[in-house]
Amino acid sequence: MLRANYKAVVIGGSAGSFSVVSKMLSQLRKDFHLPVIICLHRLKHVRSGLVESIRLKSNLEVIEPNDKEKIVNGKVYLAPSNYHLFVEYDGTFSLSTEKPCNHSRPCIDHTLSSAAYVYRNKMIGIVLTGANKDGAKGMKDIFDKGGVTIIQDPKTCEVDTMPKSVARLIKPEKTLSPDQIVEYLNQLA
Amino acid sequence: MDFKHYLQVLKEHTPYDFSDYSDNSIKRRLQKVISDNSLSLDELIQKTQNDQVFVERLVEEITVNTTELFRDPELWPAIYEKLINIIKTKKTFNIWHAGCSSGMEVYSSLIILSELGLADRARIYATDISKRMVNQCKKGVYRYDFNGGQLKAFEKVLKKNPIGGIKSIDFSKYLDVDVDNDKYIVKDYLRDMVITRQHDLVQDDVPFYNKFDVIFCRNVLIYFNASLQSKIYQMFHKQLYPGGALVLGNHESMTGFFKTKFKKNGAVYQKTNAFHFKYQ
Ligand SMILES: C[S@@+](CC[C@H](N)C(=O)[O-])C[C@H]1O[C@@H](n2cnc3c(N)ncnc32)[C@H](O)[C@@H]1O
Repeated sequence: MLRANYKAVVIGGSAGSFSVVSKMLSQLRKDFHLPVIICLHRLKHVRSGLVESIRLKSNLEVIEPNDKEKIVNGKVYLAPSNYHLFVEYDGTFSLSTEKPCNHSRPCIDHTLSSAAYVYRNKMIGIVLTGANKDGAKGMKDIFDKGGVTIIQDPKTCEVDTMPKSVARLIKPEKTLSPDQIVEYLNQLA
Repeated sequence: MDFKHYLQVLKEHTPYDFSDYSDNSIKRRLQKVISDNSLSLDELIQKTQNDQVFVERLVEEITVNTTELFRDPELWPAIYEKLINIIKTKKTFNIWHAGCSSGMEVYSSLIILSELGLADRARIYATDISKRMVNQCKKGVYRYDFNGGQLKAFEKVLKKNPIGGIKSIDFSKYLDVDVDNDKYIVKDYLRDMVITRQHDLVQDDVPFYNKFDVIFCRNVLIYFNASLQSKIYQMFHKQLYPGGALVLGNHESMTGFFKTKFKKNGAVYQKTNAFHFKYQ
């Protein structure tokens, strides 16, 4: 399937995903040209500090976006703690304090699904290691719209429940180790 | 479903206008109402046109009412550091919580004001589109279990980051605890200080005659689209005294023309006094 002109990469992760994301961002090309939108579960009451730690190693600028912030190419956006993060049709973010879903706020399904409706087959959705099933429904939406679906290879996961529950719902286009994911993204340019 | 079309119907037939709310959120909330009530779009439209009680319930269901005592604990010291300077020299001052939900933000702020010795000079107003929320704000009864963690988190922040010298708070001065029934009950003398009213920011005229020194509007405008946000900023600007401040939520940032009429300092937007400059 040929799909040029991707518009965004959207990543979800939970238990064990912090170090994976940090490493991936340190290996991504400095001139990576798509927005990278990341939704990670956070521990309750340890709400601050995540963005700072991710920034340390990242090659690209990492931002916790504000409501209505414009999505810009080449930037990394991290869903702020205690808010759900959505992609809107006009290419901006919106935030919401709706109840947690899949026991989490931010919830990965919300971010992935909203992105699927906006970017359709022009996006890449990635689900990393994690101990629950958040992200599976969102990946199904991306799949249904013809976007690229990638799960972290369960063999490389600290906890493989999350990518496995994606694979139960759809047949992901690719199953890759973190290094292979970076390799794939870096050759998109 | 064509939710835009539905929002037009709602606007024409009821006092409520959600047509300029953010697409994602309003769409999902409407879908939930439809599936919870097992309605078709036609049935939803019918009920909206004919059933006032249903419409009121719908408004409760599509608005997002989540709130917490001392939500975003680490932000309160930063907010009050700026507000103290605005209110401390005033004989009386007015604070409006627009979109107060069940009132936890209102009482959080009021507890800080009491600790600062400023509460007896404060006139507190609280409004929300939801009648149920306004009533809960009046009652001041909250779940104990759910909010205990928030109070502890706030105490921790105070230790490191005192507000005007306050390092800890004895919450029993403000809240009665009923552990068996999992309840916090706000003491009467605090509740009596708050004037509550049902009010729709989108449709209604300003709810009070007086102007304000501080307007809290946190996690409300995130549900509006950018053009509706601008209109509300304009209204808030008009309702503030010169030098008064609008407090937005964490991760809200003012955009558009009215941005130039405020001085931003974190979540606190202080109205600049253009009039003053002109005649100086
Ligand atoms: C997420 S709560 C925020 C509560 C509190 N300010 C806080 O930050 O914790 C949003 C509140 O805004 C209210 N709201 C939504 N639309 C409104 C409108 N048009 N006018 C007034 N209040 C509105 C909702 O009913 C809800 O109680």
